[in-house]
Amino acid sequence: MRWLIAAALLVIAVIEWPVEATDFANRLDPPSGTHLLGTDQLGRDVLARVLGGVRWTVGLGAGAVAVSVVVGVVVGLATGWLDGTRARVVATLVQSVVDLVVALPALLVGLVTAAVLGPGLVPAVTAIVLMGWAPFARLAHRLTVSVRGEDWVLAARSLGAGPVWILRVHVLPAIAGPVREALTARFVGAMLTLAGLSFLGLGVQPPTPEWGAMLAEGRTYAFVAPWLVAAPAAAVVLVSALAGRGRVR
Amino acid sequence: MTGLVLRRLALIPLVLLVASAVVFCLPRLLGGNVTRSVIRARSLASAPDPAAEARLAAELGLDRPLRDQYLAWLSGAVRGDLGRSFTTRAAVGPEVVEAAGVSATLAVLGLAVALAVAVPTGVLAADRPGGVGDRAVDRVGAMALAVPEFVVGPVLVLLVAVWAGWLPAIGWGSPAQAVLPVVTLAFFPAALAARLVRAETRVALAHPSTTTAVAKGLSRRRVLAVHVLPRSLTAVLAEAGPFLAGTLGGAVVVEVVFGIPGLGSLLADAIGSRDLPTVQAGLVVVIAVALVLTLATEVAGRALNPRLR
Repeated sequence: MRWLIAAALLVIAVIEWPVEATDFANRLDPPSGTHLLGTDQLGRDVLARVLGGVRWTVGLGAGAVAVSVVVGVVVGLATGWLDGTRARVVATLVQSVVDLVVALPALLVGLVTAAVLGPGLVPAVTAIVLMGWAPFARLAHRLTVSVRGEDWVLAARSLGAGPVWILRVHVLPAIAGPVREALTARFVGAMLTLAGLSFLGLGVQPPTPEWGAMLAEGRTYAFVAPWLVAAPAAAVVLVSALAGRGRVR
Repeated sequence: MTGLVLRRLALIPLVLLVASAVVFCLPRLLGGNVTRSVIRARSLASAPDPAAEARLAAELGLDRPLRDQYLAWLSGAVRGDLGRSFTTRAAVGPEVVEAAGVSATLAVLGLAVALAVAVPTGVLAADRPGGVGDRAVDRVGAMALAVPEFVVGPVLVLLVAVWAGWLPAIGWGSPAQAVLPVVTLAFFPAALAARLVRAETRVALAHPSTTTAVAKGLSRRRVLAVHVLPRSLTAVLAEAGPFLAGTLGGAVVVEVVFGIPGLGSLLADAIGSRDLPTVQAGLVVVIAVALVLTLATEVAGRALNPRLR
């Protein structure tokens, strides 16, 4: 089921929706047969923009989590595996950085990143990755430590396998399950942070049909065109509800 | 305990110094063209001429070496002068203090409402498994955790303010204007706290001391209030750091949604227009508050749970 939803979202993300096409005669039109979710202040079709937003909101969220999980797992594997006094010091240092990053509120980091780099898509995604790798590093570290002493790892070692080989072939598959479990919750968190930053005007900028940015734009017209608020809001809630239960902030 | 508090208190200025250097220097190093953004914010001119840019850079002191700029700012900051806004030229300090007061009111009200709803619900939910409270924590809680503030806020405005017309949609100052923002802000912490309290109350109910209290013949209410409740709050308190931080993050969105002149909307605006003095002052205040709150929650947690001492 989860794969089906992901595949459907991928198809929607790849299709070029007419997000910029304006129907100037029918601005702020309520939902009708021609425009299923109505039109916005420029006469753009809201349904097309919501579907076009999948690429931005869902796509960027997924992309940021993909980068985060790779970085986090590599760091976690390394710090979990390292042995010897000097290596332990490094591992402890890295893990205290992880603890610090995990404790920071995502939106605050987003604000700081936007303050440093200026508002925009790149700073917003950077903020999410800066935050995102840490929980994965913590998880992978714990799991690696817990399987490091297993007999099959020792067996591989005594056969002369190198650390990279052991981590890739023996440890990684063993820890993949819980990491995969964490993935959806983190994806929801990343997506909501991105949409939140865009909502504040610090992430993806209009006219890009990112859902948070659409919500912010639509709020101006909430009194005359409530569908401009309802449509992107429903899209955000639908995807986060489908992806997993609850968010981790 | 006093030693720990003093040590941690001494560390705060140090962390603040590092943080202030970061938020001061990095935007100037990496932030692209600040003067152009400021001109755009002041006059809406999209392509200002180079002479005007150079004049503005000199006026704002942006043409001086970074180290001099930072030291000048720092020496002002320790004397309580946080500089003037790039865009409005108003003194930043009073502005930030006033905004922080508004934000603090909002956050405290939000947390108070969240806890007032979550603690009784969590305790009762654990006391009656499968009851109304228990199911509410499961269903409403799951929903509240999945729906972000930037959706809750606009949707509440739409339902309560636009269609029903019961409450004002935006503004700050009257109690009626505070209802929707406080409810929006309380949504997420309430759901989180209810779950934490319920989980801990379950453990506390199974504890021998609870059996003893029941065996003594105490009323159910008294057992829950006096013996179970204190044991049920440690997780909420231990999580209070991230919790308050989350409220802080939520508050930014809530302030922007409801047009509340707090620190969050001040910061979001200032970042958007690259008004660096306001950004620096605001972020330093936010970080200082976060540090103090983290320490305070740790102290409270130790006071409440003797095993942590």
